[in-house]
Amino acid sequence: MPRTIKLHPFTILAIAVAVITMTTAASLWWLSCAVMALCLLIAGWSGHLKKLAVLSGAMLLPTFLSLLLIHGLISRDQSPAIAQWGPLRVTLKGLEVALSLGLRTAVFVVVGLLCGLLIDRHQLVAAIDLSPVPPQLGYLLAASLFLLPQMAEKQRRIGEAQALRGAGTGNGLAGWFQRVRLRAVPLVLASMQDAQDRAVHLSARGFPASGANTRLRTVPDSPVQRVIRWTAAICAVLGPILILLLSAMGGN
Amino acid sequence: MDRKLIPQGTAVLGLDLRTFSYLDAPEPVLRDIHLEVQPGSLTVISGHSGSGKSTLGAILAGLLPRHSMDQLAGTLSVDGSLVEFSDSASPRIDIARWSQHVGLLPQDARHYLSGIRGTVAEELAFSLENAGMPREQMHQKVTALAQRLRLDHLLQRHPDQLSGGQERLVALAALAISEPEVLVLDEPLAGLDQPATALVSELISLLRAQGTALVILAGTHHFWAQEADAFWLLDQGTLQCIPDAAQHQIRTETQHQHPAGGAPLMLNMESVRLCYPGASGPAVQDLDLQIRSGECLGLAGPNGSGKTTVLKAIAGLLQPVAGTMSLIGTTGLLLQNSADQLFERTVLREVSFGIPKKSSLHQRIAEVLVQLGLESYAQTHPFELPASARRLLALATVLVHEPKILLLDEPTEGLDELGEAKLREIIAAVLARGGAVILSTHDGKFMDSVAHRVHHMNQ
Amino acid sequence: MSSNLLLPDESSSQTIRRRLLAIAGTVILVATYLILIITQPMGIVEGLGQGVALGTFAAYLAAAVLLLLAVLPDLPVSTLTLIPVALALNIILGQFVGSVMIPLYIDSIGTVIVGFLAGRRAGAATGVLSTLVWSLFAPTVLPFAAGAALVGFLAGTAARFGALRRIYLAPVAGLVAGVLVGVVSSPVATFVYGGTSGVGTGALVAAFSSMGDSLLSAVTKQALISDPGDKAVVFLVAALLVYALPKRLSGSFAFVRRYRVLGKRVSK
Repeated sequence: MPRTIKLHPFTILAIAVAVITMTTAASLWWLSCAVMALCLLIAGWSGHLKKLAVLSGAMLLPTFLSLLLIHGLISRDQSPAIAQWGPLRVTLKGLEVALSLGLRTAVFVVVGLLCGLLIDRHQLVAAIDLSPVPPQLGYLLAASLFLLPQMAEKQRRIGEAQALRGAGTGNGLAGWFQRVRLRAVPLVLASMQDAQDRAVHLSARGFPASGANTRLRTVPDSPVQRVIRWTAAICAVLGPILILLLSAMGGN
Repeated sequence: MDRKLIPQGTAVLGLDLRTFSYLDAPEPVLRDIHLEVQPGSLTVISGHSGSGKSTLGAILAGLLPRHSMDQLAGTLSVDGSLVEFSDSASPRIDIARWSQHVGLLPQDARHYLSGIRGTVAEELAFSLENAGMPREQMHQKVTALAQRLRLDHLLQRHPDQLSGGQERLVALAALAISEPEVLVLDEPLAGLDQPATALVSELISLLRAQGTALVILAGTHHFWAQEADAFWLLDQGTLQCIPDAAQHQIRTETQHQHPAGGAPLMLNMESVRLCYPGASGPAVQDLDLQIRSGECLGLAGPNGSGKTTVLKAIAGLLQPVAGTMSLIGTTGLLLQNSADQLFERTVLREVSFGIPKKSSLHQRIAEVLVQLGLESYAQTHPFELPASARRLLALATVLVHEPKILLLDEPTEGLDELGEAKLREIIAAVLARGGAVILSTHDGKFMDSVAHRVHHMNQ
Repeated sequence: MSSNLLLPDESSSQTIRRRLLAIAGTVILVATYLILIITQPMGIVEGLGQGVALGTFAAYLAAAVLLLLAVLPDLPVSTLTLIPVALALNIILGQFVGSVMIPLYIDSIGTVIVGFLAGRRAGAATGVLSTLVWSLFAPTVLPFAAGAALVGFLAGTAARFGALRRIYLAPVAGLVAGVLVGVVSSPVATFVYGGTSGVGTGALVAAFSSMGDSLLSAVTKQALISDPGDKAVVFLVAALLVYALPKRLSGSFAFVRRYRVLGKRVSK
């Protein structure tokens, strides 16, 4: 049973951004690994460990392989090669670069996915609606998130209906094209017509709000969290600058 | 053309329409309409599908004409103010303000619901949220409204998990929360089963009891015959008064001749069990069903009892996991959401789909179009057809293949009186040439008049 | 004559603010791109590397968000209800091609449809939003929001200048759009991530790199191979889908009517 975190969505986002930027700026492999381990711990505590692991893995594996190909195998710096086959030149330096880049992306992916798993969609939309951004943003985010499963279901029903017509049995490119057309066109027609039908009623209900809008739903917040958010935001911007300056001075 | 002179100042909504035409349409859809809605009254406007009822409703609610697209000549009076439309003056209507006086419930309640709120309570508060009402006040209004309309049990539900009837209840409540003087309801009872019809009409009476004037656009006005203050028929784009509403009776001629006992068995299902892949339990179990040539069988049962599942299985979409099923002849299934399949640019192409040019079925295409009254729509885009014609188009795509067993899932949904008459003709024709028909419908009257036998699904 | 039921005209101060936001967004994007191209910072891992990565990410994302905020209040409600549908179509229609062994993304059909029907600003907004929503499931797409905005923007521009009036012009417009998007997005892949996210594209970059190209030019060349083809297909499919719509629907968009996007329809 996943446990929910009762923090304001923006607090979670602010902390995540600060962590990502500072970890990236520091570029220390043990720090990146520690951050990812912490994320996995939090995911475990809240019941999302399997999802986080699977999703991150699916995204990071191709990335690591790609980086290995680009930097690990084709190294153009001058350090001695570990192995060499024709144009391929593996160097220790190259592998280090590949790993370092991969780790950078990995931190981003793991922290980002954890945010996505921890933040409740409805709370996020409510928080956005209550903030000074235009009300269209909250609507668009919510509508996109909640529409996708509905359209996937509709797509399935269309597939069923078309199977009844005995359609889509041709071979080759023409057959494949017709199958795609049979499944895509009804979905596009129906969903776009639906969007047009809904627009006028949305206007009738006062959307988009001309002044400030309120929400029936409460998004729990506290002064402590506000302080945390501001601190995190400042760290997210100043932190990397300080770290880079320090490392530049330390290097000289 | 009836013009009634009502003393000024008493009507809560007034329409004096000379013509209305849609963008790029050659002919006006509506002309010479004069309507006054008194406070707390019930006005019923009936007309067949495509007559312009929804257009009229949208005009009353300020949703039409679309600025710089459609053409309206006439005046509307709402809340004591007069708005004039003509060739020279086309004002831009503030739809949000207008809906505080006149609200519209569309035919598909899902078009009204926002689709972005997690609970019904928030859905009800949506228009208040956009107006910037303080949270406490909103909370009070929503709870008071839910109590008054007896919807408390729905408040914490997710809007996606509502049944069709419940969606309509929530949409009505959301309309009522801004306390408009007039509510226009576009076919509020269409497609609902018995219990849902009772709930929705109860809600409508509650709304009326608190003083809201109602304008109901109905396919047939029999349901409201007793309580309406004014009856109109929308025909050829203009209103005609119907003095005595009780005159329009449905001809419930039940013309079935039971098939001869020895007619050949076309479908035999014994102890059939049907499961959906990935479902925890069987959708249908222990089903025994037979149907003979020339017979029309009705499937009855509450929602979820598996009627659609059985039809899908007979059509070959679902294989039985247990039991035997033997079938003679081809099947054709008309699904409930038939618009899902339409993808061609014209009606003719849609019906001709899958039929090679040289095939013998080619003559059937023209025959079927004429049989269903669709020949004048042959070059129209399916999505531009009126709802009833679109349903008949889906039926045409099934009929063109001349199935021996015709399977119909909620065939009357979306059909007006004319469409229903065509449906009866079709069923009679299929039975006459030795086929069989199995249908599942909520419409008890239709079932009684058409089916020889009714099989009750047990669940 | 009542005025409380009618809409007032828009105030001019709002349009000025939006124009400033749009200009700011464009300036940030162009400036960042030029700086990266001209200075071509080396050392992507040590020294300034991380700084460049963070800076590029922040600049590209900020540009996209500013453009979004500039455009959003202008959009009519009929476009707003269309955008989530377009986002869903981006994903669902993209999956159809996933089964075929073509190395194309095909993830922007919805964005391009909005660009064709509702104009370039709506198209740009759809691109940014598509990226933002998708980032909840795949965070790495975030800095590519500017590229996605460009796709929608170019789709609207193409439609405005008649690329949809003849069906063979659509893929040509897509080809051009693909070149531009590939070129604009390459610095992101290079400096933020140091490479690409797929094995196939990575192999291509490695191949170019082994022939002596710098990382940026290798990534750009790889993009110039995949993106134009991808966008040509997307523009063509989107055009075919737009033509399949009933005239009542496509004609209800002011943009389509004003610029005669679909020309004079022969069949009706």
